[in-house]
Amino acid sequence: MTNTKTKALIFGICTLTLFCHLCLGIYYYTFAQDNEKLVALTKKIIEANTDKELFFNFEELKELYFQDNKYSEFIDILRSLTKEKKTLEPFINYYIALARYHQLKYLEKIQNWNEYFLNLDTYRQEILNFAQKTISSTASKDSLNLYAKLLLWRFYKDQEDFSSSEKMLSELINASLEYSKISSDKSALKLLADTLSSYGERTKAKNLYQLYVDGLLSSSVTEKDLKNFAFSFYEEKNLELAQVVYNNYIERIINIYPKEEVIRNLVEIAKLFAYKDKQENDPFYAESIFKKIEALAGKDIFDEELIYLRAYNLEKAKDYLLAKELYIDLINRFPSSRYADEAVFKVGIISAFILADIETAKNYFEKLAKKENLSPQVITSLYQLGLLNHWLGNIEEARTYYQHLIDKAGNAFPETLALAKERLKEIEESRPIEYNLKTFLDFSLKEKSPSFTISKIDLKAYSYRARKEENITITCTPYTIESGCLSVELQYLWSGDLGTLKSSPPEPTFNTSYTEVGTKEINLLVVSPSGILEKDLIFIEIE
Amino acid sequence: MKKIIYFILGFLFLFTQAVFAAKSSSKIYIRKLKNSHYQLIVEAKPYIVRGVSYNPIPIGKNYEYDWWQDPNKPWLLDGKLMQEMGINTVRFYQVGNNPESVKEVIRDLYQKFGIRTILGHWLGFWEYPCPLYGDKDFRERIKKEVLEMVNLYKDEPGILMWILGNENNYSFSGRVNPWSSEEIDKEPDPKLKRFLRAKIYYSFINELVKEIHKIDPKHPVALGNGELIGLEVAKDFCPDIDLVACIIYRGKTFGNLFNSLKTTFDKPILIAEFGADAYDAYLKKEDQNMQAFFLESQWRQIYQNLAKNKEGAGNCLGAVMFEWQDEWWKHNEYDPQGWSIHDTEAGWSNSSYYFDIKAPKNMNMNEEWFGIVAISEELENNLNKRLPRKAYYVIREFWKKPETKKEVKSK
Repeated sequence: MTNTKTKALIFGICTLTLFCHLCLGIYYYTFAQDNEKLVALTKKIIEANTDKELFFNFEELKELYFQDNKYSEFIDILRSLTKEKKTLEPFINYYIALARYHQLKYLEKIQNWNEYFLNLDTYRQEILNFAQKTISSTASKDSLNLYAKLLLWRFYKDQEDFSSSEKMLSELINASLEYSKISSDKSALKLLADTLSSYGERTKAKNLYQLYVDGLLSSSVTEKDLKNFAFSFYEEKNLELAQVVYNNYIERIINIYPKEEVIRNLVEIAKLFAYKDKQENDPFYAESIFKKIEALAGKDIFDEELIYLRAYNLEKAKDYLLAKELYIDLINRFPSSRYADEAVFKVGIISAFILADIETAKNYFEKLAKKENLSPQVITSLYQLGLLNHWLGNIEEARTYYQHLIDKAGNAFPETLALAKERLKEIEESRPIEYNLKTFLDFSLKEKSPSFTISKIDLKAYSYRARKEENITITCTPYTIESGCLSVELQYLWSGDLGTLKSSPPEPTFNTSYTEVGTKEINLLVVSPSGILEKDLIFIEIE
Repeated sequence: MKKIIYFILGFLFLFTQAVFAAKSSSKIYIRKLKNSHYQLIVEAKPYIVRGVSYNPIPIGKNYEYDWWQDPNKPWLLDGKLMQEMGINTVRFYQVGNNPESVKEVIRDLYQKFGIRTILGHWLGFWEYPCPLYGDKDFRERIKKEVLEMVNLYKDEPGILMWILGNENNYSFSGRVNPWSSEEIDKEPDPKLKRFLRAKIYYSFINELVKEIHKIDPKHPVALGNGELIGLEVAKDFCPDIDLVACIIYRGKTFGNLFNSLKTTFDKPILIAEFGADAYDAYLKKEDQNMQAFFLESQWRQIYQNLAKNKEGAGNCLGAVMFEWQDEWWKHNEYDPQGWSIHDTEAGWSNSSYYFDIKAPKNMNMNEEWFGIVAISEELENNLNKRLPRKAYYVIREFWKKPETKKEVKSK
C-alpha cells in the first residue's frame, strides 16, 4: 500500500515538474520570440531608408508594447533609439506623445489612481511637448505631421477643450488637403478619416474619405474594383467610407453601363443599406438610392419586393407618411402580394394613430375584416375596428367587432383574443378603456399631426422581426431638456400588443415575446409633470 | 515710560484697525480687460474664487437644523481645514434666521481664516405650492426679503458678492416646480410659454439687481442659473446683472460652456456649483479617487478660462465646489431615521459621470456623498469628525501649482 502511495507521489511530482517545465518553456519561448522580434524591428528601424518603412516598423514596435499596455517600457526603447540615429527623432517624439496619451487613458480605464495622479502633469506635458516637436520638425507632405496633429486634436477633444480642438481640427484638415495634393500615399487620409468618424465628426470624415477615394480613382481602378472596395468598407462596418466609394461608383457607372445594369447595381446597393435587424444599415442612405432608382426608371421598376423593402425601410426611419404612401402603392399594384395584409393593416394604423384620420383607418381595417382568408392582420383589424368604435362611443358596433373576432379567431390567436376579451369586459362592466391605452387614443385620435416628427423620444425594438417566443427588447430613450440635479419624473404609458407581459411596465425598457404570428403594434406615450412629452409607435413582425 | 508704551500700542492698534477697515470697505468689482477678459477685483487685486458651498448639517439632523447657532461652532474647525486646503470663499445658499449668528460666522471665517462669503437667496423657489414669479405680491415679498438680507450684511467685511436664485430657470419648461400666470395660461404655444416664464423671471431679477446696486454699490450681484438655459432671454431682460453664477454638472469638464456664454450673454461667469460624488453606485462602494479625478479635471478647465490665459475664454472668475462636507439627510428629508444613515441610493442620473453609469436605471449620482470631507459618527469636540477625502489633497496640490497647457504652435 505504502509502495503504491509512494509511486503515485513520484508520478505526481514528475507530472507537475513536466508541466512547470512546459509552462516555463512556453514563457521563455514567447519571451525569446518577442525579444527576437524586438531586435529585428529595432534593426529594421535603424536601417530604414524611407519614412514609409520607418512608419511601418514603428507601428509594429508600438503594437508589441501596446498589446500589453507597456507604455513606459516602449518609451525607454524609443529613447534608446534616439542615440542610434538622429533622423529618427520626429518619429520618436511622435510615439512618445502617443504612448503617454494611451497610458493616461489606460490608467483611467483601470483606475490606477496612484500612478494617474502622480504622473498626470508630467504625462500631459509630454503629450503636448513631444507632439509639438514632431509638428515643428515635419511638414504637411509628411504623414507624421498629420498624425501628430490628429493626436493633439484627440487630446483636446477628450478634454472637451473646444477652442483648442477646433483650432487643431481646422489645422489638421488644411494640412490633409495639402498632403493629398503632394503625397502619392493616401492611406494616411483614411486613418485620419476613420479616427474623425469614430469621434462623430462625420462631415469632416466624409471629406477626408473623398480625398482618399479621389486618390484611388486617379490610379487605374476599374468599376469592379471600386465596387469591391465599397463593399469591403461596408463589411468593415465603415459605412461612411462605403457610401463615399459607392457614390463615386454610381457616378462612374451611370455614364458607362446600360440602364438596366445601372438599376440592377443601384437595387443591390439600396438592399445593402436598407434597414435589417442586427446588420449594418443606413435607412436614409438606402432611401437616397431608392430615389435615384425612381428618377432613372420611374415607379414601375419597383416590383412588390422592392416597394415593400422601401416602405419598410422608411417605416423604420420613422418616416410614416412616405411609408404609408408606398404601402398604398403596394396594395394597389400588387393586391395579392404576400405583404398585402401587412401593408393594409399598417396603413390603417398610421392613418388612425399618426394622422388621426379615423375614417380612412376604418376603411382599411374593413378591407381586411371582410376577407374570408384568416390572416393574423385580419384578426387584428377586427380588434382595431372594435377599438376605434369603442373610443368613439359606438359601444354596440364595438361589441359586434370584438365578438366577431372571438368567433372567428377560435384558439388560433390567443394574444389578440385576450385583448378583445379585455375590451368586452370593460364594456360589460361599464368601465373606461384601460388607462394607458385610453390616454394614447385620446392623444392620438383627437389631434392631427400631419408633419409627424418624433424628436423628444427614441422608441426602438431589438429586433423588429422575430420568431414566436423569441425574446424582444423594447426600449425608449427620452431626449428631455436639462434639469440639472432636479430630476424630472417621466411616466411611460405602454399599450397595444405587449405580448407575454401581463401588465404595462412603468420602465422605459422591457422584454417580451409573442406566441402568435402577425404584425404587432406597440404604443408609447411619455408623460412629464407638465403634460405629454411625446408619443410614438412601432411595428414588430412575428414570423 | 509705561504711558509711552501704552500710547504706542494704542496707536498701533488704531492704525491696524484703520488699515483693516480701509481695506475691507474697499469696493469689490469686476474689471473688463482690453482683451475682453474679466477679473474679479478685491482689495485692488485680482481674486480667483476657490470656493466651496458650506452647509455643516450634523449627522441625525436635516436642513431645518440651525447650525449657525450651533454652540460648537463647526465653522471654526472647518475654516481651519479650508484655509489649509487653499479655499478662500464659501457659499451659503440662504442665510440663517438669526442675523447676529450669521454675522458671527461671516466674521469668524474672514478674520480668522481669510475666507470670504457669498450669500444667496432661493427667491422662494421651494415655496409651496410653487414660486409665483408672475404674482406681484409674491415678487414684492421676495424683494423685501432680499433687500433686508443685503442691508443686514452688506457692511460685513467678509462679504464677497450676492447670488440671486440657483436653478430657478429650470422651472421655465414647466416640468420642475411649475408656475404660471394669466398671461402664460392664455398662451397655447409651449415655446412661447417658456419664453414668457423666462421674461417674467429675469425681469424680476433685474429689478432686484437695480435695487441692490442702489443700497450696496460695493458688491457684485450674480444671477444664479442652471446651465446656460434661458440666458439668451436674460440678455434682453436682465442686463444689469454683474455676473452669472452657473450650476454645472457636466462630468470631466465644462465642455464649451465658457465660449457659449461669451456668444449668448457676454458676462463674467462664476461656476457657482459643480463637483462629483464619492460613491460608486455601480460597484456600491465609496470611491474617493473617482471624485478626485473629476474635480481635478474640472478645476484645470476653470483655470484655463480665467483672465489672461490666451487659450481660454477669459470670462471665468473661479468656482464653488459642491460641497464641503457630506450631508446625511439628503436622500429622504422626511425620514428622521434616515438622517443618521449614510444612504447609498442614488438620487439622479448623469451620464457624464461615466464610471458608475451602469448602475441600475443609470442612477449614479449620490447626493449624500458630495463632500470634500466625509463626516463620521465619531465626535471630536462635540462635532462629527471630519475626514478629508482624496479630492481635498489633490485639489490642494493643484491650487499650489495650477498647471494649464502651454500654447501649441502650428506648422
